[in-house]
Amino acid sequence: MGNTVTQHRPASSGPPAKGAAGPAAPPVPTGGARAHRSRRRGDNLAGYLFMSPWLAGFLLLTAGPMVASLYFAFTDYDLFDAPRWIGLKNFTDMFADPRWRTSVEVTLWYVVIGTPLKLAAALGVALLLNQKRRGQSFYRAAFYAPSLIGASVSVAIVWKAIFSDDAIVDRAQRALFGVDVGGWTGDPDWILYSLVALTVWQFGAPMVIFLAGLKQVPRELYEAAEVDGAGAWRRFWSITLPMISPVLFFNVLLETIHSFQIFGSAYILGGQGGTCGPADATLVYTCYLYVQGFENSRMGFASAMAWMLLLAVGLVTAVLFWSQRRWVHYEEAAR
Amino acid sequence: MGLTAAGCGAGSGAGGDGTVTIRYAWWGSDDRAERINETIRLFEKKHPKIRVKTDFQPYLDFWKKFNTQASGGNPPDVFQNAIGFLRKYDEKNVLLDLRPQAEAGNLRMRGFRAGLEKFGEVDGKLLGVPVGSNSMALVIDRAVFAKAGITPEPGWTWGEFQAAMAKIRDTQGRAGDSGLYGVMYLYDLHLRQHGKAFFTKDGLGFTEADLTEWWTAARAGVRSGVHADPKKVAQIKPKSAVAGELAAAEFTWDNFTIRYTSEGKSQYGLAPIPTTDGRRTGQYLGSLMLSASRRTKHPEEVARFIDFMVHDPEVGKIMGYDRGVPATTTQYEAFTPTDEVNRQIAAYEQQLVDSGVLEPITPHPAGADVAEAAFLRIAEDMALGKRSVAEAVAQFFTEAKTALGS
Repeated sequence: MGNTVTQHRPASSGPPAKGAAGPAAPPVPTGGARAHRSRRRGDNLAGYLFMSPWLAGFLLLTAGPMVASLYFAFTDYDLFDAPRWIGLKNFTDMFADPRWRTSVEVTLWYVVIGTPLKLAAALGVALLLNQKRRGQSFYRAAFYAPSLIGASVSVAIVWKAIFSDDAIVDRAQRALFGVDVGGWTGDPDWILYSLVALTVWQFGAPMVIFLAGLKQVPRELYEAAEVDGAGAWRRFWSITLPMISPVLFFNVLLETIHSFQIFGSAYILGGQGGTCGPADATLVYTCYLYVQGFENSRMGFASAMAWMLLLAVGLVTAVLFWSQRRWVHYEEAAR
Repeated sequence: MGLTAAGCGAGSGAGGDGTVTIRYAWWGSDDRAERINETIRLFEKKHPKIRVKTDFQPYLDFWKKFNTQASGGNPPDVFQNAIGFLRKYDEKNVLLDLRPQAEAGNLRMRGFRAGLEKFGEVDGKLLGVPVGSNSMALVIDRAVFAKAGITPEPGWTWGEFQAAMAKIRDTQGRAGDSGLYGVMYLYDLHLRQHGKAFFTKDGLGFTEADLTEWWTAARAGVRSGVHADPKKVAQIKPKSAVAGELAAAEFTWDNFTIRYTSEGKSQYGLAPIPTTDGRRTGQYLGSLMLSASRRTKHPEEVARFIDFMVHDPEVGKIMGYDRGVPATTTQYEAFTPTDEVNRQIAAYEQQLVDSGVLEPITPHPAGADVAEAAFLRIAEDMALGKRSVAEAVAQFFTEAKTALGS
């Protein structure tokens, strides 16, 4: 901002100084420049002033706690007694803890199964909604709605009711396939899939982004391809997918990061009593973090877990960014 | 009234007119909330200078919130408490020693039933005052037991109990009980019948071999259908397996019988704890307590409030057996149960007192709450077949040692 001000007022930078040397000498910055500088400082001040609510929020609510949490990660801290420095013990304890390993496994399963399914559903529905049909806006709203209410506790509770023993899913399974699972939510082998189903159902947000991406694909490309005799599958594979690959990349990135952070639905679906599913079947990473922090009062351990998660998500993000060179196509003009 | 309340400001400060506000937190159901609000209205009427603000959550959420508040130096002035938390919060310097208040006459510690006045004492400090007592029992579906022709008598043995459960499975088309392997307080009784205990003052009072034996029997019971299918039990939570007609019996606290009646369709009753030698049940009275925060600015008012809650006969009438059988004789005599379930609870506890089976409770070390949660969870893993008995036992001992710091 300060620079713009400088550039806008080149000539009138105060009267020429009294002791101006040669004609080629630039105007010596005296009084005018000082006013200039103070004005710039004033502008900066105003800028910081306007930023201050955000800045205060960032320092107090984000940066401060993060620094504190980084410190706690190396301590034994139960909230009551002063934190005691124990070096890397939280981290070594973590790797030795079978429940922690379970939580990593469960989370990875959830991410690896849930994210692609959700994105596939989002893209599939976006393709359907991209066609010209009557009542499109109704369908768009209808498909988007679940992800609006999806984060709420009540949906997870409803989900639990739908998938429990002798409820609608169980009965349908018996009627259609003749298999009796006895409900998904009480069964350690099945409950994770009801959680996956819940996340897939909430595909609305990536769908909207896909839809926006699909609208950007130039029609001429399809027309040209059709003239060349390309079928629907071929057009999708060779035109649609490459053209929306930046949007796809964005969605993959966002949804993967989201999946790693799943908490609410797993905690609620997994039942009460501080358990994260029968036999820890929905013990996702953040659920175990919560249990250690707030139920077992091991805040140091929980902090260490949080930083471990940050590292892991950072790593996955880096890998995704690295991989985009191979499959994400930006139009030259857009670069 | 509204004007005085508004004038004295919020929080636990003293108002200009000398009115004091104290915060009271407890866990429980909506039904308990209504009863407690009624007792508080009564208290405020009798003590116009003291206001009481309440706060309640379900059990587990209660302790999470309490932990956070207490560590931030802002715990409620007075709160519901239980034996498993006494040492834990004493070690964290959270609890007020109520002894000086009792000595000053603000809190009467006389007139308690069956030695309950000792219940909240830890190392000579008075950290909690019991409001009601309860004991472990076998809650049964009376119709099913009658149809199977089983009448449990005091002193029946574990062998007789197992035979009864098998008979129910064979004749009544449902499991005998809902799975006793994860009920820490029942395992404690079993251990006490053998001269051991779940907890000692600073750790566990049993060996890995003991637990292996208990869980091996439990696993066999799940496989043979004597215990209810743990998957089904998990599905119908929070409803109990007995009310959900998955099992005919369940070990739990005697005052919980009330809730079965509202959940299920059958008639529910209480049966005695099985024994090893035909006599010793290992039972003791458990209790809910009221404790105070060491940080309270109004220890005297808090003491008067606790005194009112445990001694006032009107409070006894309002609360009934909601928090167990009232701890003091005045409240016990003030409430005469008229309904079947409450009458059975009274009779059950009377029988325990009369037969002289009650013993003193063993101490609960700091971390007992976390150990209990681990016991329940790992037992369920084992019952679901997700862990072998050996793995489950090893895992429990690892987690318990971390929790108990031993």
